[in-house]
Amino acid sequence: MRPLLIFPFLILAACERHEAVVATPAPAEPAVTAPAPDPAATLASVIRISTTQQAWNEGQPWEKQPPGKRRSLGAIVAPGQVLTTAEMAADVTYIELESPDGKQLAPAKVIAVDFEANLALLGLESESDAKFFDGTKPLEMAVPPKLGDTLDIVQVEENGTPLVTPGSLLSIDVVSNFLPGQFFLTYEVKASMQSAANSFSLPVLHDGKLAGLLTSYDSKDQISDVTASDIVARFIKEAADGEYAGFPSLGISISRTDDSNFRAWLKLPEDGGGLYVSTLKVGGAAEKAGLKKGDVIVTIDGHPIDRLGYFEDAHYGRLYWSHLVRGAKSAGDTVKLDLLRDGQPTTVEAVLDRRDEQDQLVPAYTFGKAPSYLVKGGLVFQELTRPLLEGFGEEWSSRAPLNLLDVYENPQKYESRGRRIVFLAGVIATPATVGYEPLRNLIVTKVNGKDVKDMKSLIEAFAQPGADGMDQIEFDEEKFSVHLDEAASDAVDAQLKQRGLSRLSRAEN
Amino acid sequence: MLARSILTLALLTAGPSPAQTAAPTLPGSPAAAVSEIYRSVVRIEAAVQMPDYSTPWNSGRFTGGIGTGFVIGKNQFLTNAHVVSNSSRLLITVHGSPRKYPARVKFIAHDCDLALLEVEDFSDFEKFPVFSIGDVPSLESQVRVIGYPIGGERLSVTRGVVSRIDFSSYSHSRADSHLIVQIDAAINPGNSGGPVVQDGKVVGVAFQGLRQADNTGYIIPTPVVRRFLKDIEDGRYDHYVDLGVATFPLFNPAMRRALKLPDNGLGVLVTNVTPTGACDGILKPGDVLVSIDGFPIDSAGQILLAGEKVDLNEVVERKFAGDTVALRWQSAGTWNDRDVALKTLHPSRMYAIQYEKKPRYTVFAGLVFQPLDTNLFATIKLDDVNVRRLYSDFVPKGIFTEREDIVLLTRVESDPVNSQLSGFTGLAVDKINGTLVKSLKHAHELLNPATPPDFFVIELFGAARPVIIAGNAVAAANERVGKTYDIQKLSNLEE
Repeated sequence: MRPLLIFPFLILAACERHEAVVATPAPAEPAVTAPAPDPAATLASVIRISTTQQAWNEGQPWEKQPPGKRRSLGAIVAPGQVLTTAEMAADVTYIELESPDGKQLAPAKVIAVDFEANLALLGLESESDAKFFDGTKPLEMAVPPKLGDTLDIVQVEENGTPLVTPGSLLSIDVVSNFLPGQFFLTYEVKASMQSAANSFSLPVLHDGKLAGLLTSYDSKDQISDVTASDIVARFIKEAADGEYAGFPSLGISISRTDDSNFRAWLKLPEDGGGLYVSTLKVGGAAEKAGLKKGDVIVTIDGHPIDRLGYFEDAHYGRLYWSHLVRGAKSAGDTVKLDLLRDGQPTTVEAVLDRRDEQDQLVPAYTFGKAPSYLVKGGLVFQELTRPLLEGFGEEWSSRAPLNLLDVYENPQKYESRGRRIVFLAGVIATPATVGYEPLRNLIVTKVNGKDVKDMKSLIEAFAQPGADGMDQIEFDEEKFSVHLDEAASDAVDAQLKQRGLSRLSRAEN
Repeated sequence: MLARSILTLALLTAGPSPAQTAAPTLPGSPAAAVSEIYRSVVRIEAAVQMPDYSTPWNSGRFTGGIGTGFVIGKNQFLTNAHVVSNSSRLLITVHGSPRKYPARVKFIAHDCDLALLEVEDFSDFEKFPVFSIGDVPSLESQVRVIGYPIGGERLSVTRGVVSRIDFSSYSHSRADSHLIVQIDAAINPGNSGGPVVQDGKVVGVAFQGLRQADNTGYIIPTPVVRRFLKDIEDGRYDHYVDLGVATFPLFNPAMRRALKLPDNGLGVLVTNVTPTGACDGILKPGDVLVSIDGFPIDSAGQILLAGEKVDLNEVVERKFAGDTVALRWQSAGTWNDRDVALKTLHPSRMYAIQYEKKPRYTVFAGLVFQPLDTNLFATIKLDDVNVRRLYSDFVPKGIFTEREDIVLLTRVESDPVNSQLSGFTGLAVDKINGTLVKSLKHAHELLNPATPPDFFVIELFGAARPVIIAGNAVAAANERVGKTYDIQKLSNLEE
């Protein structure tokens, strides 16, 4: 799911982090907290994880970047299954599990990963290491905590000593903690932690049971983001069978309806709530269900949605509406929406789905996927992805080329063209590209008269040069075409291989 | 970017300039002048009012600056446009005299950074020598730069050598490129508008420097000066003309073969023809341009003019609106010859900084609308992709044929009717009540109809929802906003 399509456009959403729910005062009586868990006992339920990660070099897609290492503390959630964050599994080349006492090591593999929810489930690489888990005790899932409850953050020091830091549950909110625009139910826990051997990717317990996974810690405010037990439990349940479908989405972007002029124009009652549907993802669950731009969603599964987009959750209190879709449902589930269309009430039922990020025109993330590219006579073609745009630097959203940003911002304008946007990323100076050096960041529409729909179709089109032995390349918005001499470009390609380009093309699906 | 790092050389002083001191006597010959001609190099004091594009109803900042000018004829003082831009008062002083002569701008050309001034009473200057205008100095030849730069009150003279002759950008407008001569003399703020002299003749006007390099000064060479003086002969300045064609070099052998061109190093590919421009309907993308006024165009787009390799546009540069230029080009295998009448492409002013203009705006229920231009771009942060595309496509894609202005919602002055709308600032207006907005004036009319509709529905490019204002709330909101924010005039539709 493209981030911007799930939630309000960022210009309106002054809420990368939605208003924290602190409306309900913390319970007056000090929550009858169970005694802190015996630190030593927790050692049987946690595992150290070390990973080696190596991403592809977006600028030179034929090679990888230097590898990096990460560590975390995982929670054993079932026999032989360890839960950690998806960050640990991004672009991973090697995973090793280590018992807290450091005595045992075993290579591991990813059973399931959800980069959007930032969760990953790991298992042993080889059956022969099964004894690694002898004597361990899987954690049970905790009952969802309430505001003010004390949660215990588990760390293990370098010497194997457990370190349990209690912290108080300050607020419950729907935020994104890894990928921008991916919002999930999160606890904010106030606790003063020390850095102890691991990164801040840690199990969080409540009454000795797993209440969530800590994903980040702000040492200045001493606030941690903890992925909520509801999300963790759903992930583990769906991942256990090895066929993980993922958290679903509705495929809409919305706008709040707190502006009284806007409400009057929409013929909304003064005292009600409602969410204005701004954009629908083509082929998304909402569009398939017949939702239209301009509809106002009044309730989701019977929960009234207020004008800022919040509903009253029976357990947690006020939560952002998206939790009703992403947190409370699975792909394939139905969600019932009461709408106002031109002021008239109507109801639709949408069957939720989870679209693979690889099916998006411009994938928002590409972890573990090698970039598709073609080097032809020195011309470098790539498929547009968000990581590639991010390569234009910290300020990429204003510094990247406008034509590429336009595709990213307005994919609906380009979706009919094909599976991916292929563009001429740059030119390696070769004898075949004399005079072409200034060309870069041009979207390719046709090669040798054939439509370019993705890297595969580009490579196929180049395989059929014109009768004169020339390739013709046409660009979007540019009214001239560029030509390559097939013989000259073949000679150059052979030289480029000698110069260490391991391969000249890759077309991944 | 070269253009960014170039600084114009008018010396800006903070605060008002000292009052005019009336001293009736003019010395017969300046005491310290080495050469008689130096008498005709004058110091120009400008009091300037900078328009305020972020709060366009305000007066703007009052400031001032110092530059140089020189006598080129009877009551004709040549200087840089940037010395006298946005000026509210101009005073001229001569070397060795305390007297200040009030002056005014007679002609100003922002696209080539030149201006011609006149004084109210020229009689004191009658006997001054007059600079005559020479040719482009040759490479390595020595020149003198005369002016009133920072570092002292009196006339300054520096020497330098001509180190480069180029076609490059003029930073005053940020959008224009013309012939330029680079010299290695120290040119400093205050030198702007001063004569660059060789063998007693003016060979250029000092005008800009380079921040990151030492000893690089740029001067406006005489072909540009002559063109300016010729243009104003009819009593007004008509701006440069433009071919309205974008080209791509034709070095690549495969490209040449595909276009069936001989391997003779000639010709450039036409990649875009500006709608309504001089070549609209004559040239088309894919054509190969091979000569202009008989000068063969090489595959880099250069011609040999008076022994110097210069951009093919240099031919157009020296012409005026209505003049023709002879083009020869190949189109789909056939050869074509035609004289093309040149014209000024006014929409391209979108990309130039504007001077002596009052910012246009209209305020509607606290929403401030302004037309997009480079002044606005330089003043407020505009990073919306749609706005930036409308800006960059405005001329090349001919958006101006549909919309004279791109109207932006630039500010929301807080008021009860618009308190939820601040997130919409910086976006461009597409439609108002279903009608495509063609200009700021058009937007103003749509927002102020004789009878207000129930709702004003303002659709913005890239917004998640339309902006709605209840029709019956506008009049009161306008009055409140005008009062609260001290906006005397809720709109200014004329520059």
